[in-house]
Parts: sequence; C-alpha cells; structure tokens
Amino acid sequence: MIHSAEILLSLTLLSVLLSLTSHRLILLIYILAFQGIVVSLVPLFHEHNQAMTMGSILMLQVMIFIKGILIPGFMLSAVRKIKIRREVEPLIGYHASLFIGLIIIVVSAFMADRIQGSLPGKSSVLIIITAITTLASGLFLLMSRRKAITQVIGYLMMENGIYLFGTALARQTHAQHIVEFGVLLDILVGIMVMGIVLNNINSTFDDVDTVHLGQLKY
Amino acid sequence: MLELTCLIPFIAGIIAIFLPIKIGRGILVLTALSHLVLTVMAWLGNTKPALPQYFSTSPEGLLVLLVTSFIFLFISIYAVSYLSETEITSEPIYIGCTLFFLASMSMAALADHLIVQWIAIEATTLMSAPLIFLHRSKSALEATWKYVLICSVGIALALLGCFFVVLAMDIGNVQGAITFSALNKAAAQLNPLWLKVGFIFLVIGYGTKMGLAPMHTWLPDAHSEAPSPASALLSGALLNCAFLGVYRSHQLLFQAGLGEFSGNILIGFGLLSMLVSAVFIYNQTDYKRMLAYSSIENMGIIAFGVGVGGLATYGAVLHLIHHSLIKSSLFLSSGNILLGYGSKLIAKTGNMAKVFPKTFVAFFAGFVGISGFPPFGIFVSELLIIMGAFQQGRNISISIFILALVLIFAGASRLVMKISFGKWDDDILLDETMARVLPSYALLLTSIILCIWLPDSLYQTILSAIATVGGSVNG
Repeated sequence: MIHSAEILLSLTLLSVLLSLTSHRLILLIYILAFQGIVVSLVPLFHEHNQAMTMGSILMLQVMIFIKGILIPGFMLSAVRKIKIRREVEPLIGYHASLFIGLIIIVVSAFMADRIQGSLPGKSSVLIIITAITTLASGLFLLMSRRKAITQVIGYLMMENGIYLFGTALARQTHAQHIVEFGVLLDILVGIMVMGIVLNNINSTFDDVDTVHLGQLKY
Repeated sequence: MLELTCLIPFIAGIIAIFLPIKIGRGILVLTALSHLVLTVMAWLGNTKPALPQYFSTSPEGLLVLLVTSFIFLFISIYAVSYLSETEITSEPIYIGCTLFFLASMSMAALADHLIVQWIAIEATTLMSAPLIFLHRSKSALEATWKYVLICSVGIALALLGCFFVVLAMDIGNVQGAITFSALNKAAAQLNPLWLKVGFIFLVIGYGTKMGLAPMHTWLPDAHSEAPSPASALLSGALLNCAFLGVYRSHQLLFQAGLGEFSGNILIGFGLLSMLVSAVFIYNQTDYKRMLAYSSIENMGIIAFGVGVGGLATYGAVLHLIHHSLIKSSLFLSSGNILLGYGSKLIAKTGNMAKVFPKTFVAFFAGFVGISGFPPFGIFVSELLIIMGAFQQGRNISISIFILALVLIFAGASRLVMKISFGKWDDDILLDETMARVLPSYALLLTSIILCIWLPDSLYQTILSAIATVGGSVNG
C-alpha cells in the first residue's frame, strides 16, 4: 500500500515539473487535471487511513470529480469559448522555470527532513516534499506567467499542495474532514469567481493577458 | 438566536436581487436597521447562539460587530442617495452583494470555530468582489482581479495556518472542538513549534486581507475603484473583520505563553505598513488612493498597538473603533467630491471650501480626525499607544512610529490643502445634498462623543477583550 502512495506522489512531482515546462495552454490544463486526480487519490493509499468509512470514500470521489474533471473541463471550455491564444507566454522562460522547479524540490527535501522529526507518528517524507514542492511551484507559476488563466492554474496547483499538506498532517478523524471541506470550498470559490472575471476580462480587452492590466500604478 | 444576525442580511440580499430598485433601496436601509437592533440585542446578552459549537459572542467579536453594524447603517443611508445620482446598470446586484457582504462580515465577527471564521473571511472576498467591479471599467476590472487573486492566495495560506494549529492540537493530544474558546483554555498543551508556524501563516493570510504591508498591494486599487459607499464599507468594516482573525490568533499564542513572539511579528508588520504608506502617500495624485494608503497606515497602527501589549492594546482597540468611524466618513465625503468634480484626480479638484462648503466641513474635519488631532478619538488612541509603548520600553519602534505619523501627516496635508483651498474655476457637475452629507457628520460626531463619553458597557467589553492578550488600562 505504501508503495502505491509513493508512486502517486512521484507522479505528482512529475506533473509539477511538466507543468513548469509546458508551452501549450491546453496541455497545461490536462496536466492539471491529471495532477488533481492523482492528488485526490493520495489519501486512499496513505498509511494513516487504514479504515476508510463510507463518508470518506464518497468524499474522495467528489474530490476526484472536482479536481480532475469539473474544474479542468470548465477551464478548457473557457479557453475554447473565448479563443485565448494557445501559448503560455511566460515571464520567466521554460528552461529557467524547470531549473527553479528543481531547486524548489531540493529545498523542500531539505525542509521536509527538518520538519519530519517534530511530526507525530511515521509520516512519509515524500508526501511532505511533494506538498511543499507543489505549493511553492504553484506560487511560482502564478507569478511567472502572464495570462490570467495561467495564474488561475498556478493558484489551483497551490491548492493541490495545501490539500497534500492536509493529508500529510491529518492524523485524527476530526482534522481530516476539515481538510476536505476547506479545500472544497476554496476551489469552488476560486474558480467560480475567477471564471466570471475571466469572461469579463476577455470582453473588455479581447485578450486575457494580465500585462494589459497595468493601468493602476503604485 | 444569534445566527439571525448573519441570516437576515443574507435573506434580505436574495430578496433584493429580484425586486425592483426602489424597493431594494428600502430593503437595504431596513435591513441595516434590523441588523443594528439584533447587534444591540446580542450586545445585551439577550440572544444565545443556536449552534454554540460554531458561533459565540466573544467580546472582541461583539466590538467588531457593533462597529460594522453602526457604520453600515449610515453608509446604507448614504448609498440610497448616492445610487440615485449615479448610473449603475446592475443596481439590484449592488444592493444584494452589499447585504451578502454584511452577512459574511457578521459571520466572521461571531464565529468561534477556526474553520467557520476562515470560511466567513473567504466569503467576504467573494461578496465584495462584485462591489469593486461595479463600474465595469478597465481599471475596475484590474482592481477586482488583483483583489480576488491576492486575497485568494492569502486565504489559502490562512487555511494552511489553520491546519498547523490543528496539528499543534494533535501533537499536544488536545481533544475537543477546534474553537477559539476551547483552544484558549487548552493553550498550554498545544505544541509551541507548530503553533508558531500556524500563527505566521495566519498572519500572512489574514494580514493580506487586512492590508498589512507587504501584502497590501490590492488595497489601494480596490478602495479607489469601488464606488464610495463600498469603499467606506471595505475600509471601515472589512479590514476590522480581517484584523479579528489576526487578533484571535495572537490571543491564542498569548494564552500559550508565546505572546512575545507573536507580538513582535505584529509590531514588525505594523511598522512596515506605516512606513510603506508614508512613502506612497506623499506623491498621490488620486484622493481615494490617498485615503486607502491612510487605511494601510491605520491598520499598521492597530497591529502595532496590539503587538506592544499593555496600555497600547487598549489604545489599539479604541483606534479600531475611531478609525472605522472617521475613515468611512471620509470615504463618504470623497463620494460627494467625485460626484461634484467628476474626477478622482487631485489635480482636477480644488477650492472645495467655497464650492462644496458642507462636504468641505466633513472632509476637512475627517482629515483633522484621522491625523490624530483633538477632539476626535484618534488623538486619544494614538496617545495611549505611544504611552503604552514607552511603558514597555520599546523606544526604537516608537520613534519609527512617530516618524511615520509625522511623514504621513506632512504628505497628506499638502494634498488635502490642494483639494480644499486650491485653484478651481470650472463648472461643478452635481451639487451636494443633505442626504449625502449628514451620514458623514453623524459618523464624525459619534467619534467626538465616544472621545468625551465612553459608555460603561463598551468600556467593560473593551477591557475584557484586551485582557486575553495581556492588555490593561493600568499598563
């Protein structure tokens, strides 16, 4: 069981690196969908949760649906409907992004090593590494990409990182539900509002490039 | 039932969206009135929460609720007149969202559960975003985008902070609900390391919403692009609710014996916010942005006062009340200026003392008040914070504090003088009316009255609110 968890976590790390190098918007959304499904599956194989209740299995399915299907589908339709240009248009180049991603992994491995000693029980180090990496790379993606929709993708990646963190830390039953409930709301909220705003950004500018959002200075 | 305080504005908001504009405006004022009544009932202890595991009446929550409810009433009276003068395509949505916004802010003030409070603060972002985007211009869009994105990142980090607090509970083997009241009782058993980490994330998360530098970048845009009644609400009510999140986290750390750690962080953020606003206020070209930077400064002052502890905490809570009253009054006056001159640029205004005498009185008095001159309450609160900081022996930070205050006064007074007495010989667009001046007067007058006579129940509530973070009037 633990091995499958580690495979999933490695896949998450891979998807993070892929997302940092992908040139095409559609591909980026597919990677995000993949990452969402993998991340939602992690609690199933995580060692703390030997006994799955009906409620938590149902929750798991809801998470997979939202993270893997609903939100990526929503974004894909947004990209198609408002004809956003298909390139990612980074402010920091793909190779540099990849390099920064690798540095983030090294730093998070270092941090996870320090953190692990103070954690209760035997949490796997890899899940903490993956959580910090996903969180930090999401933030980086949010800051280093020009388009509004790629900023949303970065934000969602950050959310995935927080979800992983919650999974790693949740030990008792009452904590677990908080993790899921909180992230559910957060994702829905983030995407709905941003989706609406995105639509309007497009109709006002005919483009979804946040470089044009430079009217308000200091 | 305490939850009615959140439910009534919410239901009224849904109704207002589907009704014609005229009835909607009536609903806005009526809801504001009934909300104030409910708040006073909660204040008198006549209402009990129906869900005690999620909601409770903490003294600091009651204070914020009362301030919110009070200024909301005057802002809604102003808004009725303001809305009839401006052409807004989606006014029912504006009224509905204002009421939802009130509901989410009341929820944040009354929440006791860590996650419920988090949800409430998240909801305030969601509900206020349409208010900022009301004018549907390019710059309004940019402001909304920045607001939603930056605050969402902040709120996500706050959630991570909540996880860490729960982790501190797990490690310390603390059983029970994840409410602030339960956590405060068991604070000594919580794991200190994770509590500290959690606090840092909570301060960054809620501090983003509160407008602490360097996470403040959304605030000037949002405050200047929103229509004036909404800016007044954002500045006078929303920032307090976000501050409540920071305050409660600080309270938790203080109870756990880590008050010095969290206090120093708050002092750092507070001073940085004041310095940032001192730098940026100097060359402002837009008077609403000037007021927004002043809000950042005042949030910095409040964070500083709470961080210092002792007498300064009492000053900080007073500052919170008076800042809300005076700043919302200033934003309401700025709405009149905008309607009258038709521009937010300082260069396109002037000679307000002659052209708009009534608004001039409100605006100038508000400026005098916000700069910390008597007879307004900010004079007292800033004096108490400075005295408290000297008592605690924080000489270096108090010097920075005073320097920033002087710089901000110097920077802002130049701009206010230009608006009030500068050259102006053009046509005015819209004359001032009493309905749009009286709410500002009422708010300013309240600040003066509270400065002279503080009701005993208010005084006792402030004392019990600050006692949990080591504040007292005796230093």
